[in-house]
Amino acid sequence: MDKYLYENYALFGTVPKEKRSLTDLARGVLANPLYHYLLFGAVMLVVGFLSATKVLPYSLQSGMAITFAYSLASVGFCLLMGYSGLASLGTGGFMGIGCYAIHFVMTEAGLPFGVALVVALSIGVVLGLIVGVVSLRIEGIYLVILTLGLSEILRNLYIAVQDSIYLSSFKLLGITIPRSASVYVVTVLLVVIMMLTHNLIVSPTGRAMLAMKNSTAAAQAMGISLMKYRLLAFVICTVYAVLSGMMLMITIRSAMATDASGFYALITSLNILAAVIIGGFRSIWGAVFGTFIMYGLQTMLLNRIPFLQENPVIITFVSGILVVLVVMFYPGGVAQLVQEVRMKLRKRRMARREEKYGKD
Amino acid sequence: MAKTKLFPTAQQRLLPLQQRRRRLQLQLDALEQTVSARQAEKLAAYGAKLDRSLMKDAFAACDKEAYAQQILEQKLQKFDVRQNMDRRAVNHGCSKAIFTAVEAGGDWQELLKKQRQELDALEHKRSEYLAKLTAEKEAFVAKNSSADGAGYEKAKEKAQALYESRRTALETEGQQLVAKKRAKLTGQLAALDRRIAGIRSGVRSETLPEDVLLRVKGLKMYFGGLKAVDDVTFDVKKGEIFGLIGPNGAGKTTVFNCITRFYDATDGSIHFVNKEDEVVDLRQFQVHDVILQGITRTFQNVELVREISVLDNLLVACTREYQSNLLVQALGLPSLKREEEALREKARRILKFMGLESYANWLAFGLPYGILKKVEIARALMSDARLIIMDEPAAGLNDSETAELTETIRRIRDEFGVTILLVEHDMSLVMNVCDTVCAISFGKMLAIGTSRQIKENPAVQEAYLGVEGDA
Repeated sequence: MDKYLYENYALFGTVPKEKRSLTDLARGVLANPLYHYLLFGAVMLVVGFLSATKVLPYSLQSGMAITFAYSLASVGFCLLMGYSGLASLGTGGFMGIGCYAIHFVMTEAGLPFGVALVVALSIGVVLGLIVGVVSLRIEGIYLVILTLGLSEILRNLYIAVQDSIYLSSFKLLGITIPRSASVYVVTVLLVVIMMLTHNLIVSPTGRAMLAMKNSTAAAQAMGISLMKYRLLAFVICTVYAVLSGMMLMITIRSAMATDASGFYALITSLNILAAVIIGGFRSIWGAVFGTFIMYGLQTMLLNRIPFLQENPVIITFVSGILVVLVVMFYPGGVAQLVQEVRMKLRKRRMARREEKYGKD
Repeated sequence: MAKTKLFPTAQQRLLPLQQRRRRLQLQLDALEQTVSARQAEKLAAYGAKLDRSLMKDAFAACDKEAYAQQILEQKLQKFDVRQNMDRRAVNHGCSKAIFTAVEAGGDWQELLKKQRQELDALEHKRSEYLAKLTAEKEAFVAKNSSADGAGYEKAKEKAQALYESRRTALETEGQQLVAKKRAKLTGQLAALDRRIAGIRSGVRSETLPEDVLLRVKGLKMYFGGLKAVDDVTFDVKKGEIFGLIGPNGAGKTTVFNCITRFYDATDGSIHFVNKEDEVVDLRQFQVHDVILQGITRTFQNVELVREISVLDNLLVACTREYQSNLLVQALGLPSLKREEEALREKARRILKFMGLESYANWLAFGLPYGILKKVEIARALMSDARLIIMDEPAAGLNDSETAELTETIRRIRDEFGVTILLVEHDMSLVMNVCDTVCAISFGKMLAIGTSRQIKENPAVQEAYLGVEGDA
């Protein structure tokens, strides 16, 4: 009705607005990838709540919190490797910065979380800048070895300073957050980080990083300063790793530096690398999914199977084989697989349409 | 790679200032336009509000019969769109079935009858729907009273008066805004100019003849004991197409890399008239700052970003044009989107010029080589360069593509007013398109002149074909 009136009587040139149905609105929301992250966050918050209130298995929320905390590091690593073409095995060591900042600032000094955040992030930024400057001179496998060395230095530093660290109680904005509620904090942070990273990837910065990855010569000729973007990539990756370490500390509440499978050992760096490879180098969703495979699957599902519970080595075995298979057959990771399935579905839909209606 | 100097030279310090100055100038030039556009938006929003407030009266005033008729037609049209698809499915399915029946010698006339029946059923459904709509329409007309225009006329006059007063108010507001912003911007510009002049006073400036854009003088590039380029001197004039030729290993690409600062020349000077019309010594700049001076290049082996679309590849050349900082980009604020849209528009224009608009949203990965070469040229055009250096643009192209390239290069020079420096192997391209040609061999200058002069030069012939009787 409105339409007719506007068309015939609109005095001041108002263009009539189509009334949008609910399905159109939903479609519009789904077309914007940023809403996907919000939707994901909302669903995960609900699942976390159901798990904390024991409607769903109680162990689910801790598995989710751990997965999402590690995912923060994976997303940063995805930006570093998939977009800037740089590699690093220092993730674990950088995560330790977050853990130790929490221990020393919050547990020992009794200061609020905000101070720990500022301290950890500033150390992370400085370390990221140092590695970034180094990456201007050293490339490829040598850079990997260098970051590996740096990570081991950091770990030995942690052992020398204090072997076992803990967080007795965690307060955020004056509210005490128990271990079972940490999943909310981690989920919200992960969604924010995913959205920021997504924006960066589609922005001129993301394109500049991709250009740098494809060809340094072409990137420089287009006015892209290698120094600026390499430093930026390393700083972002390090900051995300530091955040990841802090979130792990909030979730698990204690850590041992001498523990070879602890979360700032070499195995973490390797697992994050594997997670990003499984998920797909250039996909945020892929990074989160890969982390789920590497960390969440075991705590959430596989540990329920008695056989695997008795022989946990099989899980490691399977995830190793998975990495080999992905690298051999889907170098783009799960993201590539999803893309291909989507293309196939689309083709099938087109074929079915042609079958029914004939060619256009 | 060129060495990174620890402390920036005066020229390098000037760069960001000049860039900011350019942006401010652009803002100042477009000030009236942007303000009036914003005021027009506000006015339109107000108009829409008035229109909404008039709706009730307008409905009372409208001719109910015509109104209902229009709604009926709209609904029927939607129905027809759906039914046409059904009809198409029936026709397609039946004609396929009939075809197979004829092939197999079956009873195809029965099938034809069936098709006709199905189509009739659809037609029947449509007439039923039309009858339903007509009934609805009649009910509507009976329920609502007929036209009464008096109330509407009164409301309309009032709204028009309001609209007029709002418009004058917005106009004066706009003028004030323009004056205020202009004062601010001019103040900023003057301050910047003072700073620039202060830095510049410490720079010893060179002068070049009026028509020269690039002067390479005594250029030497030694790699250890190897003299890749030894004492090369040439001038590139404004608006010409300049060819640099030579046999394999002559040092063409090295010259080129020295100009674009990928190599730091051992000795010699390279002077260039930049976007600000001042003569700069290119050797003071880093590789990634050369593009800001107005020099851009294409690559022999196409160097595009494979994972993003052709349009986005063009935007890569504008990375330094963005005013949005990292935070704005991470938050994806509207100011970034506006900037992006303006640059995308420019990219689309350039793609159209190159005849590539249909490829705009394709991934660069997997496009044919000839297309990718063109995309690279389009990318070079994005940065508003004064000098475009092309590294063997004809490499890997067939004869017809080379002929097209010749035409494209001329068109670029004429339309964009840029100067083009070609480093090329393909003699037909060079001889066809270049105004001036410089031939080098083993790092040394052989000759410089028009293409005809070069072709007839015995030294060049010798370098290319070998000495007569030497076979």
